Amino acid sequence: MFLTRSEYDRGVNTFSPEGRLFQVEYAIEAIKLGSTAIGICTKEGVVLAVEKRITSPLMVPSSVEKIVEVDKHIGCATSGLMADARTLIERARVECQNHWFVYNERMSIESCAQAVSTLAIQFGDSGDSDGAAAMSRPFGVAILFAGVENKKPQLWHMDPSGTFVRHSAKAIGSGSEGAQQNLQDNFTPEMSLKDAIDLCLNTLKQVMEEKLSSTNVEVMTMTAEKEYYMFSKQEVEEHISNLA
Amino acid sequence: MSSLGFEQFPDYQVPGVSHADFSPYESNGGSIVAIAGEDFVVIAADTRLSSGYNIHTRTQNKLFPLSNKTVLASTGCWCDTLSLTGLMKVRMQSYEHTHLKTMTTDAVAQMLSITMYNRRFFPYYVSNILAGIDKDGKGVVFSYDPIGHCERATYRAGGTAGSLLQPVLDNQIGYKNMNLNGEEPPVLTKDRAVAVASDTFISAAERDIYTGDFVLINIITADGIETKELQLRQD
Repeated sequence: MFLTRSEYDRGVNTFSPEGRLFQVEYAIEAIKLGSTAIGICTKEGVVLAVEKRITSPLMVPSSVEKIVEVDKHIGCATSGLMADARTLIERARVECQNHWFVYNERMSIESCAQAVSTLAIQFGDSGDSDGAAAMSRPFGVAILFAGVENKKPQLWHMDPSGTFVRHSAKAIGSGSEGAQQNLQDNFTPEMSLKDAIDLCLNTLKQVMEEKLSSTNVEVMTMTAEKEYYMFSKQEVEEHISNLA
Repeated sequence: MSSLGFEQFPDYQVPGVSHADFSPYESNGGSIVAIAGEDFVVIAADTRLSSGYNIHTRTQNKLFPLSNKTVLASTGCWCDTLSLTGLMKVRMQSYEHTHLKTMTTDAVAQMLSITMYNRRFFPYYVSNILAGIDKDGKGVVFSYDPIGHCERATYRAGGTAGSLLQPVLDNQIGYKNMNLNGEEPPVLTKDRAVAVASDTFISAAERDIYTGDFVLINIITADGIETKELQLRQD
């Protein structure tokens, strides 16, 4: 299968006769090697929960950051190549600040996703006409954007092709297939934020290879009242011990 | 100009050669007034466009509706007004396309400030007042200096008769230095705002030669923009 593809693998922006961009498809495959991240949007707010892979006991778990703040009202969970994620997050932060500076208002979640998507598809053989260096490959990252807009929570997902779609609940990363099925079976639009946190943790518990603990998961909520709120180790522990 | 300029040294002067200064600015006159109420805002501008003792036209509208909730009034150098309002319209249209919504009055206010400050060292020679309904449904007025400083206010006058009109508004709308016997000042009605705005122009036209002919008044509410016209002195 891969042999027939090789012809069209050389240029990142070359379509195959079937109309596919293999490098983009491979980038999407790369996400499936990343750690699992889950987002659920309820009426009260959005929950993001991610698994942190602590590959060595000598690693400092708190230095692995998979959920980050973009602006007070937007948070992101990433899966895939972390270095690529940093670049995209940086763009999201700059765009949000610039929007605030120019318009004195918060950037909408969709516009933020749009801005990041614009960067995500700027890969190719040649650079900009202004002499900027070209990006040789697509970003190997999928992002979940959690935000509040006009006091209403929203969850958006973006993949390496730059496609961004709004979701009620979405899972990305290595365990995403099983996790997405679990979300589909258990998500209800009426569920409370607490139920959503439990569903996130329960889903992670099912798909993670290691045992769920406060050191290998990160949990964040995005609500109209508290906005970006990262759970402390103790709070995560409490939620895990209270799981049914 | 300079104490060391060639003008100081007759030996270097060439007969018949004169030095023309670059004077890119012109004052085309006109006055603007805006008064905000609880759920409405009144914005008015005269229609005279002049240059020195000449009148270019007696019927120039200086009110630029930017959305159905926001109106910009602009006077000063008319070509700068045209350039600035044109740029504002382009930027608002592009905002609408990228963010899929119409700009709020607060957003327009900030963008106008930044657009003007971008020209910090070759400014638009304009006196701007922005009036509109804010995101809470309240009437607001934003006033600007030519390099983009923005201030939120409830009433403001600008243009050539700005210094004549502002004290009238301070008295009639702001109730400044008035003995109200401890009572709250009366709530501003739409009719009174229109009446005061009209009166200020009638009195300004009496003294300022750059203000006159007609006043165009826009009354902005959540339902849209209503337009009124009033005749002034034509001399």
